[in-house]
Amino acid sequence: MIQMFHVTKAYPGDPPVLTDLNLDIAKAEFVFLTGPSGAGKSTLLKLMFLAERPSKGQILIAGRNIARVRESSIPYLRRNIGVVFQDFKLLPTRTVAENVGFTLDVLGVNREEVRERSVKMLRRVGLEHKADVSPLKLSGGEQQRVSLARALVNDPAMLLADEPTGNLDPALTVEIMDLLCDVNARGTTVIVATHDASLIARYEKRTLRLEHGTLVADSRGEKAARLMAHDR
Amino acid sequence: MSTSARLAYFARTAIGSMVRSPFVHVIAVAALGLSLLGFGLARIAASQLDALLASLGGEVEFTVYLATDAPADQVDELEKALVNRTQGTLTRVSPATALGRLASQLGEQGRSLTELGENPLPWSLELKLPPHSRDPTALKSLAQKTRALPFVTGVDYGEEALERLGVISRALRLAGLIAFVLVFLTTVIVVSATLQLAIFARREEIEIQKLVGGTDRFVRMPFLIEGALQGVFSGALALAAVYAVVRWVERDGGDLVGFLMLDGRFVVAWGRMALEQLGLGVLLGLTGSFIAVRRFLRV
Repeated sequence: MIQMFHVTKAYPGDPPVLTDLNLDIAKAEFVFLTGPSGAGKSTLLKLMFLAERPSKGQILIAGRNIARVRESSIPYLRRNIGVVFQDFKLLPTRTVAENVGFTLDVLGVNREEVRERSVKMLRRVGLEHKADVSPLKLSGGEQQRVSLARALVNDPAMLLADEPTGNLDPALTVEIMDLLCDVNARGTTVIVATHDASLIARYEKRTLRLEHGTLVADSRGEKAARLMAHDR
Repeated sequence: MSTSARLAYFARTAIGSMVRSPFVHVIAVAALGLSLLGFGLARIAASQLDALLASLGGEVEFTVYLATDAPADQVDELEKALVNRTQGTLTRVSPATALGRLASQLGEQGRSLTELGENPLPWSLELKLPPHSRDPTALKSLAQKTRALPFVTGVDYGEEALERLGVISRALRLAGLIAFVLVFLTTVIVVSATLQLAIFARREEIEIQKLVGGTDRFVRMPFLIEGALQGVFSGALALAAVYAVVRWVERDGGDLVGFLMLDGRFVVAWGRMALEQLGLGVLLGLTGSFIAVRRFLRV
């Protein structure tokens, strides 16, 4: 699903954020992405949903070389990628259901179907009863679930989540993780950036570890969790 | 989704945004409306000055004095040629009529003219010139050609006054053009800066739309509709304001700009003015929105 060959990302005047990165993530795989703050996890996710372009190297997503993708084609590629942002990126001027339906509006889905699918998705994340309130009235955890619902409402081929359980209590964390596993079981490639060692130990999924912009470990379960002992 | 459903979505989004944050839209409409008001008033002043200049030249006459032995057939030909060339109204004035006019102009002193044994005044041709035939250069050439005829003793058409009028008219047109360009450029800058403020408040919405796969066209459309609606509102408001200002000046402001009025009124083609105000408003709103939203599309 995602292949990276010698990818480097650097911003002018700063040391590289990612250096000579090589990785291969298969279709329908579930991958955790870990590493200390500033290791380059968010930048790696941005490269995957084409918010950034690599300074060097090649990235293939679903077989397409994104270096050769025209600017005007990017929106169509993004429609197959669901993203859960660390800061949620919910619009306070829209209701919860409208925020979830945003993804479907872009696709040109008709109004009734947008509402129906948004509410159904909110039911899956346990927020159907909050469909018509403003996101401002939700707790951090609830906002995170709305963000997840928006990313999933379109049944994307790939889901990228930046700290999707960061603001959740243990019970909700399990619920959201189970939801992600369920989505993954249906064939969606899921990549989750997290600092939570307990999740990595518990779910036994492939875990890629970044340090100073370099991939330093590709392991799973307890072994991967132990590498995180000194992360902040 | 059909095109009409998509358009309905864009319109719903645009109207929803205007309802949700009315303040920024009121500011944008006010900025656009003030510019259009300035444009409308300047437009009326310019056309009024034009009409005024045309009326000042209303009495422009091209007079040809004929020799006493001027052959009748050649005078007829000259009459036809003058009328064809200028589309003016020609009158043949006899010496007796000319003497009568002169006597009445001189009043008391004119009585002595009746004591003259012989009328010294020649036959003449008086040509009243319509506005489109008052070009000083063309008239100068016509006068030269006419004077060259053997049976013509003189030509008079108020050469100096007409040339002065032409200079004033050209200067006013140039000043009007410069003023229009300046007002237009200022308006575009002010309007796009104001709209940018309005769009800045929604940069997050644009960012999310782009991140979930919205094309530039999809993101831009509601903003263009908002720009067009702002143009319509501001055009209508500016039109109403121009109408109110014109009526007020006609009623109470005669001392201020009375010199611009003809018969105490402004001559305004309101239908055309409405089209210009609404059309220019929509054009400025669309252009301003297009420019303003561009810088936020790079996500």
